[in-house]
Amino acid sequence: MEIAVLTKGVPDFREGQVSFDEDGHLERGKTPTVMNPNDKFALRAALQTKVRHGGNVTLCSMGPPGYENILEEGMRDVYADDLVLVSDREFAAADTWATAITLTTALEHMDTEPDVVFAGFKTADGETGHTGPQTCWGLDRPVLTHVISLDIEPENDVVRAKRLVEGDVDEIETVEAPLPCFVVTDPEFEPTYRRAEHRLELKDLREQTKRRAENYDDHLTMWNHEELNLDPDFVGLDGSPTIVSSVDPIPKAPSEREATMVTPDDEEGMEQVLEEMTPFAGGD
Amino acid sequence: MPPLDPGEYSIAELGPELKDVEDVDELEAILEAEKEGEDRTGAVTLIESRIEKFSEDGEDGDTGDLDPGDMSVADIGNAVRDIEEVEDLEALLEAEEGAEDRDSAKRLIQKRIDDLSESEDDGEEEEVEAESPEERHPELDHPTNDKRHVRAIDDGTYEDMWVYCETQQGDMLDVSREMLGKARELMDQYNEDYGEAEQVVAVLVGDDVEKHTEECIELGADVVVTAEDDRLGRFRHKPYTRIFCDMARWGGDPGEGNPDPAEWRDYDEPRYVLFPATNNGRDLSALVQAELDSGLASDCSGLYIEDAEISNPVKTGEPGTTKTFDRILHMKRPDFSGFEYSTILCIDNPHRDFHPQGGSVIPGSFEVPDPDPDREGEVVEWDGDIDDGWFRVEVTDHDVLDEGVDLTGNEVVVAMGRGIGDNPTKGMELGIELADCFEEADVGVTRGIVTGSYQFDANVEQYTHEERQIGETGQVIAPDLYIAAGISGAVQHKVGMDDSDVIVAINTDPDARIRDFSDYFIEGDLFEVLPGLIDAVESGDVSEALAAVAAPGGGGDD
Repeated sequence: MEIAVLTKGVPDFREGQVSFDEDGHLERGKTPTVMNPNDKFALRAALQTKVRHGGNVTLCSMGPPGYENILEEGMRDVYADDLVLVSDREFAAADTWATAITLTTALEHMDTEPDVVFAGFKTADGETGHTGPQTCWGLDRPVLTHVISLDIEPENDVVRAKRLVEGDVDEIETVEAPLPCFVVTDPEFEPTYRRAEHRLELKDLREQTKRRAENYDDHLTMWNHEELNLDPDFVGLDGSPTIVSSVDPIPKAPSEREATMVTPDDEEGMEQVLEEMTPFAGGD
Repeated sequence: MPPLDPGEYSIAELGPELKDVEDVDELEAILEAEKEGEDRTGAVTLIESRIEKFSEDGEDGDTGDLDPGDMSVADIGNAVRDIEEVEDLEALLEAEEGAEDRDSAKRLIQKRIDDLSESEDDGEEEEVEAESPEERHPELDHPTNDKRHVRAIDDGTYEDMWVYCETQQGDMLDVSREMLGKARELMDQYNEDYGEAEQVVAVLVGDDVEKHTEECIELGADVVVTAEDDRLGRFRHKPYTRIFCDMARWGGDPGEGNPDPAEWRDYDEPRYVLFPATNNGRDLSALVQAELDSGLASDCSGLYIEDAEISNPVKTGEPGTTKTFDRILHMKRPDFSGFEYSTILCIDNPHRDFHPQGGSVIPGSFEVPDPDPDREGEVVEWDGDIDDGWFRVEVTDHDVLDEGVDLTGNEVVVAMGRGIGDNPTKGMELGIELADCFEEADVGVTRGIVTGSYQFDANVEQYTHEERQIGETGQVIAPDLYIAAGISGAVQHKVGMDDSDVIVAINTDPDARIRDFSDYFIEGDLFEVLPGLIDAVESGDVSEALAAVAAPGGGGDD
């Protein structure tokens, strides 16, 4: 099986990592970039596929040259055989549609066209959830989204998956698609390794990938717009239908409650807090 | 004697007849015959263009080799840009009228005529035509770059706001009702502001959806477009996308230039489209806008229409200038994991229209409108073909999911935020332990926890999923007691817990926003405060809490 996984670098939104300026705007320069957390589920789905059916996992991202580190993180923390970074000034400031056109072209440019492409649901920064389906539209493949579990039968050319459907009630659908196809994993995705041999294989692969990540640049390929033969007018900022007209910090909520300030060693204050809590105590 | 007598043919017929004649001498003879005979400009142009095509060193003439009967509308669009003479264009227009008489083709030619006349009129230099991609990017191999994803129309006409009304289990989703209400409000204002009479168009796709048409109209739709078919019982990406796009273009083929207007409407594509930001609705929005070659904002919670001053040179076409784009749908959405609001606009490029302007709407963002039983509207059935090849993904089974975690109905909710960062697993364990001290309590988290890249141990990981998220995009709860540990207090979070009776916040930063909507604010580290609270609630004795707090730090300094 030839497997490709798409990922993106995003600001690390954890406390202590994320930085804001005086006006409350995110300071990207001062906030470290990490692999989009949701994409790890896509990579885990790829690893499950590799363990069960063998093959090659290519982890692909579009971004500045520094995104090498994102690819290295994916290789080290989950798994990857090869890394592809699609990087060019012309690709900068792309919205989802311009990104999708670029990624579609990159996937088609790979030596062997992947049997399955995996993507995560939503990035932690843009949070659109559009790029996966739109990239798939460019490839004209069957798409399975919000996938929470996956079984592939390569001999029958069938991908079987469970997917989450939201609405006024939530549903789980079982769906079947032919190969090749495109899978967008849900953050609820769980890989399964039912057979002992698979669990052993998983362990081996996890060790291998950590070693490979030490020399990740031996496995890294970079493509720019010329190599992908992409017209700059149709990618990056120039090819993006949408623009961000303004970014506002979330407005400070008007003060509606007068908080009683308590320090943990203030007995009287803590007593007051506890009086609010004890009426609900119980359980044991 | 010429091989055919042009006088026997109308200009429209002449094109196809000439197609088989490739001998220049024969063509010259035909031309001669035409000139001696009726001498129609269009016919002469046609024959001359043939001659030019097959003359060995035929230079590029002013008119190019144009036979409209032979060309797709898109080809005509490209070709007319190279024609500088109004006379030649008029001949071409006449030829098209005599031939296939396509509205879209005629519009393209007429537009070029208008452009040329205009630039002649004011005597100014003509606007510089966009360079061809080959000229702009000689490093690329353009013949192989077919740009097949790009199905834009240039200078099309757009009207109305379309709303995709998602259904589930035989009922419309509430968010569909909310969008219809919002669309009605937006378009009423739009029609007043711009002196138009544009409509709200509801779209229903499924196997039993016609029963909803009445409700759509009562909630604000002027037109309801329906597609009903047994195969459409459950959402599938490809057929739903194909059907919606075919409705949007109403049979027009983007490869053939701008679509023809339909009987019930007189525009190429919708001006605006709205979808619900549900799993399927959001997917559909992305695919539809990809196919229509336009843009969209996802998960919007605010919408308004007004003019926009844009100085982005990609959009204005000229660096250093500001241009007003009118009737722009402003789409406001929380992003960056809830740290900021962005306003997204979808705006045409100079030679590539980005319409419809699209967005998906977070359920619950707008009110469900009161139905007006007196409202009247039109129902239009879409009657396009549904291709079996669109159903390559099969739905073999479906089940209603046990409701995930429902945090409403608890007396107490302990909510954990990014303050657990120093030791995420330990932080969650403390929250769970505190919740266990209460009779009816559960644990919730902020969006920052759900979307952050924290590593949790297996015992607490299940408590950190989206199903426990409190806030605008999660659950909205109002327990008797809300304990917010390590939560700074973004507005989206406030929306989810503000109606709680008593709110106790624990945070190291006394200026954290949550202070403004808390009743008690314990200024301290949750890793120290929570163990004390756990002991105290269990024993009912506050001195235990104080002792526990004092212990880890080895006693306070003051």
